[in-house]
Amino acid sequence: MSAIQIIFWFLSALAIVSALMVLISKNPVHSVLWLIMVFFAISGHYILLNAQFLAIVNLIVYAGAIMVLFLFVIMLMNLNNESEPQKNVWMRLAGAVSGGCLLMILVSLVRQAIEINNKVAEMKVGDIGLIGNLGKALFKDYLVPFEISSVLFLSAMVGAIVIGKKN
Amino acid sequence: MNAIILSALLGVVMMFASVFTENKIAIRNIAIFGLLILLASNLLNIYTPYSFNVDLHNMLRFDSFGLFFNSIAIVSTLLYVILSGSDIVKVGNYPAEYFALIFFVLCGVTILSSYNSLLMLFLGVEIMSIPLYILTGSDKKNLKSNEASLKYFLMGAFSTGIMLMGIALLYGASGNFNLEMIREKTSIAEFGILAPLGLLLIFISLAFKVSAAPFHFWTPDVYDGAPSVFTSFMATIVKTAGFIAFVKLFSLRMADLGPSYAIILPVIIIATLLVGNITAVFQQSVKRMLAYSSIAQAGFMLFALYTSNDLSTEGILLYAAAYSIATIGIFGILIKMKDYTFDGYNGLAKKQPLVAATNTVFLLSLAGIPLTAGFFAKYYMLASALKSNGSALWLVIVAVLFAAVSVYYYFRVIQAMYFKDGDAETTEIDGTFKFVLVVLALLIILIGINPSILLRWYYF
Amino acid sequence: MNKLVYLVPLFPLIGFLINGLGRKSLSKSLISIIGCASVLASFVVSVILFFDVKANGATVVDYFNFINLDSLKIAFAFQIDALSSLFLLIITGVGFLIHLYSTAYMHDEEPQHFGRYFAYLNLFIFSMLLLVMGANYVIMFIGWEGVGLCSYLLIGFWFKNDNYNYAAKKAFVMNRIGDLGFLLAVFWLIEKLGTANYADVFAHASSLSSFDVTAITILLFVGAMGKSAQIPLYTWLPDAMAGPTPVSALIHAATMVTAGIYMIARSNVLYSMSEVTMNLVSIIGLATALFAATIALKQNDIKKVLAYSTVSQLGYMFLGLGVGAYTGAVFHVMTHAFFKALLFLGAGSVIQAMHHEQDIRKMGGLKKQLPITHITFLIGCIAISGIPPFSGFFSKDEILAAAFAKNPIYWGLGVAGAAMTAFYMFRLYATTFLGTFRGTEDQQHHLHESPSAMTIPLIVLALLSVIGGFVGVPEILGGHHSLHNFLSSVLTTEVAHESAKNTEYLLMGISVAVAAIAIIFAINKFSKKPELEDATGFGKLLENKWYVDELYDSIIVKPNTAKGKFLKNIFEKNIIDAAVNGVGRMINYSSRQLRLIQSGLVSGYILFMVLAIIVMVLIWVNDGYIYKFFYNLF
Repeated sequence: MSAIQIIFWFLSALAIVSALMVLISKNPVHSVLWLIMVFFAISGHYILLNAQFLAIVNLIVYAGAIMVLFLFVIMLMNLNNESEPQKNVWMRLAGAVSGGCLLMILVSLVRQAIEINNKVAEMKVGDIGLIGNLGKALFKDYLVPFEISSVLFLSAMVGAIVIGKKN
Repeated sequence: MNAIILSALLGVVMMFASVFTENKIAIRNIAIFGLLILLASNLLNIYTPYSFNVDLHNMLRFDSFGLFFNSIAIVSTLLYVILSGSDIVKVGNYPAEYFALIFFVLCGVTILSSYNSLLMLFLGVEIMSIPLYILTGSDKKNLKSNEASLKYFLMGAFSTGIMLMGIALLYGASGNFNLEMIREKTSIAEFGILAPLGLLLIFISLAFKVSAAPFHFWTPDVYDGAPSVFTSFMATIVKTAGFIAFVKLFSLRMADLGPSYAIILPVIIIATLLVGNITAVFQQSVKRMLAYSSIAQAGFMLFALYTSNDLSTEGILLYAAAYSIATIGIFGILIKMKDYTFDGYNGLAKKQPLVAATNTVFLLSLAGIPLTAGFFAKYYMLASALKSNGSALWLVIVAVLFAAVSVYYYFRVIQAMYFKDGDAETTEIDGTFKFVLVVLALLIILIGINPSILLRWYYF
Repeated sequence: MNKLVYLVPLFPLIGFLINGLGRKSLSKSLISIIGCASVLASFVVSVILFFDVKANGATVVDYFNFINLDSLKIAFAFQIDALSSLFLLIITGVGFLIHLYSTAYMHDEEPQHFGRYFAYLNLFIFSMLLLVMGANYVIMFIGWEGVGLCSYLLIGFWFKNDNYNYAAKKAFVMNRIGDLGFLLAVFWLIEKLGTANYADVFAHASSLSSFDVTAITILLFVGAMGKSAQIPLYTWLPDAMAGPTPVSALIHAATMVTAGIYMIARSNVLYSMSEVTMNLVSIIGLATALFAATIALKQNDIKKVLAYSTVSQLGYMFLGLGVGAYTGAVFHVMTHAFFKALLFLGAGSVIQAMHHEQDIRKMGGLKKQLPITHITFLIGCIAISGIPPFSGFFSKDEILAAAFAKNPIYWGLGVAGAAMTAFYMFRLYATTFLGTFRGTEDQQHHLHESPSAMTIPLIVLALLSVIGGFVGVPEILGGHHSLHNFLSSVLTTEVAHESAKNTEYLLMGISVAVAAIAIIFAINKFSKKPELEDATGFGKLLENKWYVDELYDSIIVKPNTAKGKFLKNIFEKNIIDAAVNGVGRMINYSSRQLRLIQSGLVSGYILFMVLAIIVMVLIWVNDGYIYKFFYNLF
């Protein structure tokens, strides 16, 4: 087992366990912290795939900005175990079972997919994840969606103002 | 391209409109003016394809189908704003922003009618959806409105997740976002799992957007909770745009979904018809009934996916127009009612004969009675299914039976208006409103007598 | 001349529209002028067309595609040839005279109803013209139905009287039975030949199997039975007397009942191909002729006698068609149109004078007070009895001669019928005009000749009844039979009856002698001592029309009514209603249940959606993958 494989399995296990902990932990603050762990693990995967820029952006934007914002909101609203609404046990069970089924089906289908059988992730090769190449792709081939996504953000901002502003 | 760029720009213009004027009527008039410009620019796009010289990298493709639908959507919005504009500005304190959001939605709609890449599909769906979440919750003091908005957002996020998963799988299978390239690379010959599974997931998320059962659950709650003016917009232009996106994707790629598609789609069609029609029967509120009826109508529009031939593309365009016009009219009248229950309509025919008469035309059209546009819309849908596939007969029969059920709840409104005594209370109804209603009703009858009036523009 | 063709039906249609829409605002005189002028105008055009056809032959004018399906194209086209141009003359000519007559006869009606009456009359003429002019069976059918509708409207013109409405309904229903046959025949033709155009049908008729031809012709004949009042569908015609008298004249003489004759004459190519149908037509025609004649012997209502005589005369026409004497039948249609219109209008004049008394037992001796009516009525009676040289003689003789050639028994029975015809017509004449007046003093006081608007049509028609036969003088009497020559382009030449000249003279002599004897006998018997009491014994049977109405009532109407009652009270209430309401209740119930899924909880919704996705994916992978899926899972 090479070092890369060891790191891969470690990061994968970390991501899955952290994601589970997000769901399981009773304290919302803990959940957010676990979520930050998930983002770190995934950023590690990005680095393994030679996508450093994506890894950094993922950390800065999600773990850094958004999650910290989340954390503040939760702490300011003082959410904790007691304020969490009690859910029906059967509902939870049903949710868990059906979600599990969906997961199982999707995983098993993807495992059987002939398109990716016998294919391994290409590491260290391909430098599309590097900032220069990414920028070129973004501003040349994907310029139209890039610009149009600004409309999306603009509309979201207008919405935020409409919702958030006091009457 | 004109319509996409201009609708986004007009959204910005509307945002700034509130800086310069507080007058709500002026804001509405700016919006109407903007829509006229938008319509003109879209028509211009049909005749002179290259108004903007943008290298699209084949991400968008402007064909007569999409441009024609854009025209339908813009005209519908125009009629909607003229009819209900004075009610839009009454919803809350940000009239200009509401119009801005409506223009952003239109931007999403125009993207959905011309996308050629999964990336643009995703962006279009999101640009269309996010303003809607806001509009749903725009009546901030109303708890129901807030609840509806949150529900819509949560479930919308769920469907977005599914769509992204589907797009990721398709990308994984083909290494491309472009629709034609994907089809090329994942042809039947090397029939894998990833590509069809990805398509199935996109199918599911689009089914959610057009509220096809069993992904319709958000529809009644959101349509009911949202301010009625915005329900009208959501149920018409947005919903039909969802279908256009659907048709564009699946008219190309249906065969790739494999033989099971022939089972899944009929099951969904019947489930949608069943849930929509049957549940609508028992509703007491006209608004909620209309929410279910919009599900039922979606069941008919899904027939456009069942086959892809001339009749089905013409049919979905016709259906989009017929359904939008009629629903805009019905909602326009609903907004004016003080009581949204069926009893609230009692005796409307005596107090407002013209309004009741036009409402009857709209309801008849939705029910698919001949001499209204709705009849031909349904006819094209069912005929297209029969034309390509004789074994679809049973499906058509089921659809016709459900159309018969739909007559029941549509006629309940007519019955209340004409045959029950009561004091139907309305807010004040002015001449313009009545005039637009008459125009809408005439359009419906005109298309109902000769649908080629509309369709020949498609081949222009 | 083609440009004029559409004008023929257009004028009455315009008249109908103006009178129909303006009936409340137009004055009576204006309505009369519009009503009469429209028909007169189309008569003028018809005359022009007639001479055009005579000079230049037939034309077909194609206006537009009326029905345009994949392979079936039915044009809205008019065919003007010898046959239709002749009928156009009869319809518009006699129709005009009846319109003119009506202006005086209906003068007591309120303006609104007066307008309605003329609108109906114009529509009637229009429908009949459509029927005759159509270049295919579909256009003919439109006219066919229009005629049926108008007869319903006109028979029930005085709709406040329930009996009249009943008569109108009866006429309509009986006609509909026949129409069904017609319609089936047309469908059959279209199915087999893919066209309903006369020209195409007749050109390709030989490709039809003999079964098809027989079936089509019999079905067409069923249509003719209804419209032309043949056994068993004749009972509506006598009841149709409920309408105003000019309407009876119109129905009996110029339009409606001649439609069946026209249709069969038009389809003569098909009929000539089927021996079975030809025999059926002759037998039904002959039976109707005799049967109706016997009934007419004992009727006391002046219009009823004439009605049964129409049925009987129509029987002769069908006999003529059945034995292949198409020209004879058409000839008889023409002469019959003259003298029967004359008789009905004369009867109308009598009824008017008698203050709407129709029972001949209460008349008598009207000769002096109604001189013109009397003379013209007498001419009509002589004409219908077949006394030379009046018109009825020639046409009837031609049919009888052809019948003899076919089968002498037909001829024998035909002559017997002719004798009965002569007898009952002169019974009617003698009872009405001869003898002494038997009405009330009041009636006698007011007896007067009718106004000139009524007498002029009588005189014109009387003249035509006298000379109308000369267009068809047979060759053995030194004539040329110009009608026969004229029609030969359309009608297949019947088998020349090759009886010797002497035989023909003999036949003519016998039929004339028999008729003459019957006339003398009738005048002698009834001018002095008319039958005033109700008949007894066999006569009673005849007076009550062989109880056919009662028979139909008990074998058809009553069982159907009972069935209807059963269906209404038991079947509908317990089965149909129950099923319908059951479906409604089921939908309501399921609606209430389905509503419960909409719980309002997002988690619930998402759960359902996830389950749906799972199911869909499972359906999805079902084609082969599902086994692999479970196999790989464990």
